[in-house]
Order: sequence, then C-alpha cells, then structure tokens
Amino acid sequence: MSEVINLQDKIKAELLDISGTINKIVDSYKSLHSPLVESQENVPKATQQLDKISEQTAAATHRMLDTAELITPREDEVIAGLNKIKEIVQNNETTGVIELCDALAQKASDNNNDAFVIMDALQFQDITSQQIDHAVVLLEELEVKLSKILSALNSEGEETPAPKMPSKKQRAYDPHADLFDKKTNQNDIDSLFAKK
Amino acid sequence: MSRTILVVDDSPTVVKFVSFSLKNKGFNVVTACDGMDAVEKISNMSEKVDLVITDLNMPNLDGYGLIDTLRHNDEFANTPIMILTSEEDEEDKQKGIQVGASSYLVKPFKPALLVQEVEKYIKN
Repeated sequence: MSEVINLQDKIKAELLDISGTINKIVDSYKSLHSPLVESQENVPKATQQLDKISEQTAAATHRMLDTAELITPREDEVIAGLNKIKEIVQNNETTGVIELCDALAQKASDNNNDAFVIMDALQFQDITSQQIDHAVVLLEELEVKLSKILSALNSEGEETPAPKMPSKKQRAYDPHADLFDKKTNQNDIDSLFAKK
Repeated sequence: MSRTILVVDDSPTVVKFVSFSLKNKGFNVVTACDGMDAVEKISNMSEKVDLVITDLNMPNLDGYGLIDTLRHNDEFANTPIMILTSEEDEEDKQKGIQVGASSYLVKPFKPALLVQEVEKYIKN
C-alpha cells in the first residue's frame, strides 16, 4: 500500500515538473511571438517610408531640373543681346562699355556652365533611388521570412491567416549603384568596345 | 535637319537629364520608360531614329532585350546603340558587346562626355 502511495507522489511530482516546464515554454513562446508580430507590423511601415523618400527626392530633383532648364535659354539670350550691344557700341567708341559687355557675356557663359554642374550633381537621385530600391527589396524579403516564422510558431494547430502584405511595385535596379567608387574609366570601356 | 535620338530609361531623372543635355546640342530627343515602351514608340514613329541610348535594368523589357529586339529588325541593324547604366561589371560590358551595343557609358556621367560619345556616331 505504502508503495502505491509513494508511486502516486512520484507521479504527482513528475506532473508538477512537466507543468512547470510547459509554463516556461509558453512564456518563451510569448516573448518570441511579441517581437515577431511587432516586426511584421514595422517592416511594411519601413518599406512605405523608404518609398516615400524615393518619391519625394524624385519630385524635388525634377523641380530643380525644370528650374535649371529655364535658366539656360535665358542665358543664351543674354549672351546674344550683349553681343549685339557690343556691335553697336563699337561704332560709337564708348570707352569701357565693350569690356563691360565682354565681362557680362563671360558671366552669362559661366552661369550656363554652372547650370550643367548642378544638373550633373542631381544624378544622385537616380543612384540613391536604386540604393533605396535595393533596401526595400531586402526588407520585403525579411517581411516574407517573418511571416513564415509566425506561421510555423502557431502551436495551436489553427490555420494561420494570410499575412497582410502591401502591394509590391515592380523594381528594376542595380544593387551596386554608387555615386563614387567607379572602377573603370570611359577610355577603357571604349577600347573594349572597339575590339569587338 | 536635327538628328533623332531615342532615350530609354525607367528613371525620369535620367531621361530628363540626358534629354536636356542632347537638346541643348540641337538633337531631337524621343523618350521611353522601358524597353517595351521603346519598341511601341519606334513602331509608331514616322521619323528615323539615328541613335538609341538605353539603360540596362528596366521593368517589362530590359536593355539587353531591347538591343536584341532592335538588332533583329533590319531598320536598326546598323543604328548606333549606346548603353547608359550604373552597372560596370566586366560581365555586363561583355554581354553588352554580345547583344550588339555600340558603346557603353557608366552613370553618373558628365554631360560633355555623353555628347562626345554621341557625336562619335552622329552629328547635327
């Protein structure tokens, strides 16, 4: 009889131990589940945010390009007008006016060149846009992986609802796009193509 | 009469920049946002395209696909085609040669260099 009681006590102790272990597993699962759910909410937000940066940078760049496009024809008109004045003044021998006209023409020409420098610098938008696209694709991949983990962790055997994925736009980008760190120069490329 | 250049790139910024640089030198510029759009534009154009400038990474039909399509069209068999891309791996350049590109320019680029490359093939 006493042996039976001892066995019951042992079974009770084992059950208590198993119950404690299950509670620990449940707690671990909860602590794991929470950040995963949070990540699943935050990653799409980051994706949307990066898309917004790309769109806003593009809009700002286009505005600057449009402005620069207005400047250069005006500068051409200034150069042409000043040259006309120069012709007229040459006949009247007005001291110093010709030099002034030359200086103004040079300034207008410099402005024209500077407008090209600005436009050249604005190519950053295309490059950063490609870099951002690359980051977005990485985040989208992470998002899919997290969704899969969440599905796998669903221990109650319930069917996991399909994750809410934002509609993904088609992205074509160069993952190595960089403003600097160019490996080749144009002469090398031209030589390569000349050999074909 | 101005020579016509077809500029193909999915980046509106690049299209704008290239167009501006070329128009400033008196070229007539037609633009397309990807390879498929370029093929459609070409088939609906009455004027002759004297030179094509294309990006590589584009949706729908990429630069290699576009060059391949054009090279299989008698009208474009000898038209100069320039690749303008941020890809600068040796493999990309070799692939460009294989599909029939005439030259290859790496982004970001100087407008003067672009015009210089264009004028190797056509002049107004």
